[in-house]
Amino acid sequence: MAVQESAAQLSMTLKVQEYPTLKVPYETLNKRFRAAQKNIDRETSHVTMVVAELEKTLSSCPAVDSVVSLLDGVVEKLSVLKRKAVESIQAEDESAKLCKRRIEHLKEHSSDQPAAASMWKRKRMDRMMVEHLLRCGYYNTAVKLARQSGIEDLVNIEMFLTAKEVEESLERRETATCLAWCHDNKSRLRKMKDLLDPARWRMLIQQFRYDNYRLHQLGNNSVFTLTLQAGLSAIKTPQCYKEDGSSKSPDCPVCSRSLNKLAQPLPMAHCANSRLVCKISGDVMNENNPPMMLPNGYVYGYNSLLSIRQDDKVVCPRTKEVFHFSQAEKVYIM
Amino acid sequence: MFEKEPQGAPQESLTLAPGPRAAGSRRPGPGAGAPQTPRAVEEPPLPGESLELRRPILERPAGSESEAAMEQCASVEREVDKVLQKFLTYGQHCEQSLEELLHHVGQLRAELASAALQGTPLSATLSLVMSQCCRKIKDTVQKLASDHKDIHSSVSRVGKAIDRNFDSEICGVVSDAVWDSREKQQQILQMAIVEHLYQQGMLSVAEELCQESTLNVDLDFKQPFLELNRILEALHEQDLGPALEWAVSHRQRLLELNSSLEFKLHRLHFIRLLAGGPEKQLEALSYARHFQPFARLHQREIQVMMGSLVYLRLGLEKSPYCHLLDNSHWAEICETFTRDACSLLGLSVESPLSVSFASGCVALPVLMNIKAVIEQRQCTGVWSHKDELPIEIELGMKCWYHSVFACPILRQQTSDSNPPIKLICGHVISRDALNKLINGGKLKCPYCPMEQNPADGKRIIF
Repeated sequence: MAVQESAAQLSMTLKVQEYPTLKVPYETLNKRFRAAQKNIDRETSHVTMVVAELEKTLSSCPAVDSVVSLLDGVVEKLSVLKRKAVESIQAEDESAKLCKRRIEHLKEHSSDQPAAASMWKRKRMDRMMVEHLLRCGYYNTAVKLARQSGIEDLVNIEMFLTAKEVEESLERRETATCLAWCHDNKSRLRKMKDLLDPARWRMLIQQFRYDNYRLHQLGNNSVFTLTLQAGLSAIKTPQCYKEDGSSKSPDCPVCSRSLNKLAQPLPMAHCANSRLVCKISGDVMNENNPPMMLPNGYVYGYNSLLSIRQDDKVVCPRTKEVFHFSQAEKVYIM
Repeated sequence: MFEKEPQGAPQESLTLAPGPRAAGSRRPGPGAGAPQTPRAVEEPPLPGESLELRRPILERPAGSESEAAMEQCASVEREVDKVLQKFLTYGQHCEQSLEELLHHVGQLRAELASAALQGTPLSATLSLVMSQCCRKIKDTVQKLASDHKDIHSSVSRVGKAIDRNFDSEICGVVSDAVWDSREKQQQILQMAIVEHLYQQGMLSVAEELCQESTLNVDLDFKQPFLELNRILEALHEQDLGPALEWAVSHRQRLLELNSSLEFKLHRLHFIRLLAGGPEKQLEALSYARHFQPFARLHQREIQVMMGSLVYLRLGLEKSPYCHLLDNSHWAEICETFTRDACSLLGLSVESPLSVSFASGCVALPVLMNIKAVIEQRQCTGVWSHKDELPIEIELGMKCWYHSVFACPILRQQTSDSNPPIKLICGHVISRDALNKLINGGKLKCPYCPMEQNPADGKRIIF
């Protein structure tokens, strides 16, 4: 891989990129926990109620038959409690397991094996792209990419698809789905003190999208976009934008067609130290490949001049002037 | 550069971009209580110091960083594991207690429902038993409810661990809207993604994106990738035909690249014949004539293969040549083909988007740290170069695509208006630095005693 990332660097990046990866399934876990507690509380109170009724009857010398029918009621309520409890716990357990799976995946960033490490990096880029595509509204592409990359578990597709359903229903001027979403999330929405005014549709959709992102603590821009911007800046140099295009490099990502346009409004890389790259070979020029100046002022690596030398002459690739090999002078860069 | 630009920010002597060589003015102190704040350790170069000996801009102690790294994930994982354990225990306990209760109540009901007792009033004994049962039910279910409530703190600890170890807010290098305000940029980004997907061989995903974003990719661009992919898919099916066809038609250019793809393809075919056992011997022998043009370059390997024929009857797996049957050859041929094909197409194996994204993964935390330091020390005005990042990002030598010359004296990148100048002695400085060094019409090189005429300096181009 072209960019070197040490284990320490990888985990610094983890810290700034992966919050949504873990927080979103956590919020689901939280939600399911609360739902479970509600279910258990509700069914427990039902049981308590029928038992209280039974106790009351017992204190008034009842006939066996009436006790039996009350007991039936108790059995029924206990069974419902058992069923609901098991279902709720299963749901909570599922979301906790999802959290676990994601954390285990993140841990793999520090794998010793190079194949596993580069696979992890590839998946990282795919994960961020999926989220970016979801934000753009390209749901089918996102789902396809997630499937092909084998990362379906690791991306928050469901959250965005739920949002999509709400948005689409709002576009059809239907409030039911949106209201259901509000109800679903009402305890947290309440804390946010926001109100949705059903009269303003377009604004409503935007408001919903904004609230949904805020609810899940997502920012305005996808992690992918922000990462890409930082990366383009770190590579961008003035040579990528020389008017005559003479200093473009075939390997430089910022010199490539699409990225060149994208990187234009972004800041350039800051380079405090010199580094010289031979225009002929793309190799570094240093003490192993000293920079040599031809009489026309153009500088190339010694090794490259050797390789293009013919009959003791060299032709400058950029001006086509012909010089003697011996006319090349060494330059000293500090 | 950042969203908030405070008016009239105080000018501090603290600088983050390197200033003149005056000692002591260049180091930002570590932010208080921020363990990941980088220490910029930058020193003026010594004369003759090779570029390669330069230390990276940000130094970190190696061991403690990777420990802290693992701790991040481990911390959250610990809490998740605790929650999972609690759910397991609670679930089992819940089921068990309710089972017991149901069983107990069932028994009582059966007893009461027996024919002997029908229509009679409830006996005192049974009444007592029933009351006890009622109490037990109430206690059990109420405890179940409160036990579940107790798990809440463990659940919220997971959330807290995540909040503690991961940053909930991410900020950009530039203001949020820099790509929004030009809506074309969003389209160009989509195009870049499509190009990336084609290069990675994810053709159906690329197609889907084109459809969903109503982008049109011209066939000229797609065509080579479609062909590449077709050949790779065949290789994955162990069909060497398309690849060989391609290699033969691009033979000249592959030779210029010093590629041994064609030979390797023939070799793989030969090996596959060998794996077919003794019946394939004649076929293998006759196929060996394909090695003829490669005899000079790959003599040794050809010898190995011909030698293996001896063991055909015995079975290659049991011979010293068993390594020829390794499956890794197939994976390797795919890689070789991809690499050579990309070279011919003028593409790097990693798409530009991949490299830029990976570079961003390195740059982002560094930039966010610096931003935090700047804001903490309230010296936002210090970052004066709005069109340049405030700090150098180390990506490794493979990412040095363009020459950068930073004048060692003025510590600034040279440009068209301030180009690098070679002095007579061979040392290179920027023109601005040269002008500053002129004394009485003469110039003394800062690195060696040579005195010279300023006009003798020659502008160089890297």
